[in-house]
Amino acid sequence: MALHLNLLHEEIAEQRQRQRDPLKIGLMVLFLLGVLMAMFYMWKGYQTLGMKNRLATVQAEWAKVEPTVTAAQTRSKELQSIIGTTRVLSGMVEGRFYWAPFLQKLSRCVAPNAQLTSVDGQVFEKTKTVTVSIEGIAAGREPRSAAEELRQLLTEQLGQSYTNVKVEFKSLEDLDTLVTVAGAPMAMARYLLSVTFDAAGPEAAASPAPTRVPRS
Amino acid sequence: MSGSKLSKDQMQKLALSGVGFIVLIYVYFSFFLGPLNTSRATMERTMADVQAKLAASETEVQKARSLEKKASTATAEFAALKALSPEGAPIAWFPPRMRLFFADQGIDRVTARLEGNTPLTEPELTEWARYSWILDVPQTDFVTLGKALAQLENAEPLLTISRISIRAMAEDPQFQQISLTANTIVVKQ
Repeated sequence: MALHLNLLHEEIAEQRQRQRDPLKIGLMVLFLLGVLMAMFYMWKGYQTLGMKNRLATVQAEWAKVEPTVTAAQTRSKELQSIIGTTRVLSGMVEGRFYWAPFLQKLSRCVAPNAQLTSVDGQVFEKTKTVTVSIEGIAAGREPRSAAEELRQLLTEQLGQSYTNVKVEFKSLEDLDTLVTVAGAPMAMARYLLSVTFDAAGPEAAASPAPTRVPRS
Repeated sequence: MSGSKLSKDQMQKLALSGVGFIVLIYVYFSFFLGPLNTSRATMERTMADVQAKLAASETEVQKARSLEKKASTATAEFAALKALSPEGAPIAWFPPRMRLFFADQGIDRVTARLEGNTPLTEPELTEWARYSWILDVPQTDFVTLGKALAQLENAEPLLTISRISIRAMAEDPQFQQISLTANTIVVKQ
């Protein structure tokens, strides 16, 4: 077996030592990693730049249509408000109680021998109920019957246009004085009628002018 | 120095390399990639928003056009109702208007007194208010009153008569004294 002498042992060891230098290796690894990271960053940056361009295009497009859209939205809100207000106001207008048709019916019910001296009416908005107090004088051989005829006629006539009609005497009293009707002396009675009914009715919406002259 | 074991100097260098690696990673993610990603995410969100707005814009415009067509009746009706409230305080224009109206119907000396005003409870009518008036008609006959009321109720859609009082005049029973409580809905000034 031949004896092999390594005379350059120290130099070789130093060279190996230099090659295995951890700092050098670490720096190389870091550099390599840095290059890779820089490339990845550039790729990402390129993508971001592309997105920025697309965003600028979309924003320019939006800037063009935005005034139209804003105007349309404002107008829509305005129209919605107008529609809502008109609907409520129309409801109020249509839900009103019209006194003229009522007075027309009342005038049709009053016979020549039954005078009215006062009429007081009121509409209760919440319940849509109408109450009317009618005071008058009836004359005839049977003045109470004349007053009763008026009450019945009112019930019948008002029942054609309104619902839940109630016509009741609050008072009915004979008077001592006589009155001449068609040349004949007649007895008189004073009456006070209470009329209540619901304002809502199919014919209540119309408001024609009265056509017949009442006897008051 | 042994070949398999690291010397103290080598350990120090290795630690220094490790620290360098950590610093590199930190700087890269904190100052480069992180802000870039944040910026990109923000741009993505903004773009999604703008694109959604763009997509909705056409629908919005179409909706407004369609609503404009549908609301033509309501708009005309609203304008007509609004026109019933002239400029100025109602106390300034309502009594003369009533006096003139009844004078046209052959009923003179009508006076209108303001009883009060209340806000309307309906949320749609925040711009409107209800005024309550007492109308005194010193003398008229039943037929003329009936005709005038019919005209009034038709000409003034926002007027509601809530109370009516008709009294025969003692000295001349063919004429009556009338008192009306009328509520009007007017645009707030």
